[in-house]
Amino acid sequence: MKTAEILEQFHQVASSPAKQKEAFLKAGKKVVLVAPVYTPEEIIHSMGLVPMATWGADIELKQAKKYFPAFICSIVQSIVELGMNGAFDGASAIVVPSLCDSLKVLGENWKYAVPSIPFIPMTYPQNRKPVYALDFVKAGYNRVISDLEKATGAKFEDEKLKKSIEIYNQHNAVMRKLEQVLADHPEITAVQRNDIYKSAGFMLKEDHTRLVNELIDALQESSSDVEKIKIMTSGILTDCPSLLSILDQNGFQIVTNDVAAESRQYRTDAPAADTGLDSLALKFSAMDNCSVLYDVEKKRVNLIVEQARQYGAKGVLVVLTKFCDPEEFDYPLMKKACEKENLPVLLVEVDRQMTNYEQARTMLEGFKDMLQA
Amino acid sequence: MGEDLKEKPKKMPPDPNSAKYKLGQIAAKAYSDAQAAKKRGEMVGWCSSNFPVEIPETLGLYVCYPENQAAGIAARGGGQRLCEISEADGYSNDICAYARISLAYAKIKDAPEQNMPQPDFLLCCNNICNCMIKWYENLARELNIPMIMIDIPFNPDYEVSDAEVAYIKAQFLDAIKQLEQITGKKWSDERFKEVMEYSGRTSRAWLAATACAKYVPSPFNGFDLLNHMAVMVTARGKKEAAEAMETLLKEYEENHQNGTSTYRGEEKHRIMFEGIACWPWLRVTATGLKSRGINMVTTIYADAFGFIYKDFDDMCRAYARVPNAINLELARDKRIKLCKDNHVEGLLVHTNRSCKLWSGFMYEMSRQIGEACDIPVASFDGDQADPRNFSEAQYETRVQGLAEIMEERKAAKK
Repeated sequence: MKTAEILEQFHQVASSPAKQKEAFLKAGKKVVLVAPVYTPEEIIHSMGLVPMATWGADIELKQAKKYFPAFICSIVQSIVELGMNGAFDGASAIVVPSLCDSLKVLGENWKYAVPSIPFIPMTYPQNRKPVYALDFVKAGYNRVISDLEKATGAKFEDEKLKKSIEIYNQHNAVMRKLEQVLADHPEITAVQRNDIYKSAGFMLKEDHTRLVNELIDALQESSSDVEKIKIMTSGILTDCPSLLSILDQNGFQIVTNDVAAESRQYRTDAPAADTGLDSLALKFSAMDNCSVLYDVEKKRVNLIVEQARQYGAKGVLVVLTKFCDPEEFDYPLMKKACEKENLPVLLVEVDRQMTNYEQARTMLEGFKDMLQA
Repeated sequence: MGEDLKEKPKKMPPDPNSAKYKLGQIAAKAYSDAQAAKKRGEMVGWCSSNFPVEIPETLGLYVCYPENQAAGIAARGGGQRLCEISEADGYSNDICAYARISLAYAKIKDAPEQNMPQPDFLLCCNNICNCMIKWYENLARELNIPMIMIDIPFNPDYEVSDAEVAYIKAQFLDAIKQLEQITGKKWSDERFKEVMEYSGRTSRAWLAATACAKYVPSPFNGFDLLNHMAVMVTARGKKEAAEAMETLLKEYEENHQNGTSTYRGEEKHRIMFEGIACWPWLRVTATGLKSRGINMVTTIYADAFGFIYKDFDDMCRAYARVPNAINLELARDKRIKLCKDNHVEGLLVHTNRSCKLWSGFMYEMSRQIGEACDIPVASFDGDQADPRNFSEAQYETRVQGLAEIMEERKAAKK
């Protein structure tokens, strides 16, 4: 397939999760919603269920306002809005890991706002590194398994989990490779790039891996003489088409990212272990460099600087989801670290309810001038 | 915690045998003891409010409480000034105002409203919120000092599981070991037993004192609890705290017997106040109630600091059952019990801009409490420490509305 055709496939999936969900249901599959940021998708996948990501949507909040005060992040609020307006009908459950305060309240409100879709909590330890934490992670997984069995009738088998882990590790590897390949292909726009990442949440990972591999092959056969301004993105979510179009219109190329919905998902593989659950617990224990994962050393801050340098990014665009305090706390330290290394930083605050991006446009135009100077 | 609401006595010096005096002394002494320790060259820690105080207390460590300090600074008018210092450093004004104040204080190291010594180590526990982790991470990084973190995850279930207790216990033991290494102090089981006993005595007296709101009229003004809870947060493992709380209980019982109360005026209505106090607007919020004959007879704090446990494992369990670490159903049931036990007629909810976790499922929970107790619910927007997030006019309107409904209901019952 040609690059354009593959990109179109990604676009179709990324822009119509409802269609994907209906297709899975029609094929007799059961769909389980997975909320941000790190959900043990491998478990869901191994039980023959289809994990479908939900990071909310750019919609006006109406019914969710009955449950949330305005100052809760719009990702969480729009997930409930989608649940209340029927967008998730047919899903068998939603798994919500409580890694930030807004995700904790998402689960509690979900029970009453969307009672037709069972809420399954995943409780992770924040002290992830000590050995004793592994038992607690596994207790959390076992809780998810037992709730999934109840909600779907599917059965868990550890051997199957090992196979799913392999599929997820392969997907991680291909997504890491994709980032490197895309850095050399500025002709791929920010909007197209987002389709590739976003579609991963709405497809079975083995299918997504296959398609990404096809794209990589197609890209590697071509080259581009397009020149753009290389930047790194950082934040929880950068999937807003209006914002991405402004990046494209101003000639920016995202060469690398520290985005929770993108590369943070793919940094850590599950290592080999006696059981699948042990392997998955070890994966969580090894995870780092994310605002919702406790790290007194704040390694993430330095990683951003190093990563930007490694990919030749001229500046860092921080896309801050309004009311996301884990990111808001990291920002001043990140800014300081970047400034120390003469790496320009631009902060753009976004909200899932935003309709007017003119302020962001002006800021990005200024950023472009600065980076080109 | 924060400013005492009542008018300062003009004629008589405070009675040194009164609970109010004793409790005030304990709260003040926590700061002066830490200052003195620092001057002597001892290490001093900053500690989050629901960190197991039994650990530093048993080890004989001096700790200060940034949340307590931030409340004090905010109550004395310094909240906005300190918040703006953090905001100038890039902290969003959506971040918890206690955190903004504390990060600013760690930078400028002086606030005449409430000073405290700079820390040599940090004790963090996230059973109150995950925002606490981020706040302390940044303190640790900016001040380059060690941080001990006890993770008590939000419990989505009604009961605390054995797996959670095991995880918490392992961290408690880890924290003790780390603190021994950092400070050179040694853990003593004997001393822990003593601390546990004082903590139990203090907690039992606190629960019994706050339960005196069952009397009609209540023998106390509920705003007293906001002042006294500072001692429950910081000093419940101390002998003096146990004695002071027992004095408080005795006074409340005596008030009831004598037909008196620390609530001045006629108690026309009894409400539960939900949420952290609006420290910068404490007088305004208190006056808005008092002027309408409303006594805030109870808050979740009445239940929150009842740390009664029989051994180490049980203590781990108790710390997993603090208000912000529990699911909606348990949080709701605790409040319903307080409302019913204390003949509450209305619920006033502070939708606190600083506290996403506390406010995040409050709409649904307060609806359920209102229905279960058949009481009206009103809410107002505010903030625990940033004065910019409160509107006096909105508060007045909401409280007036609540008062009118309670009035109508009373009239209908006659």
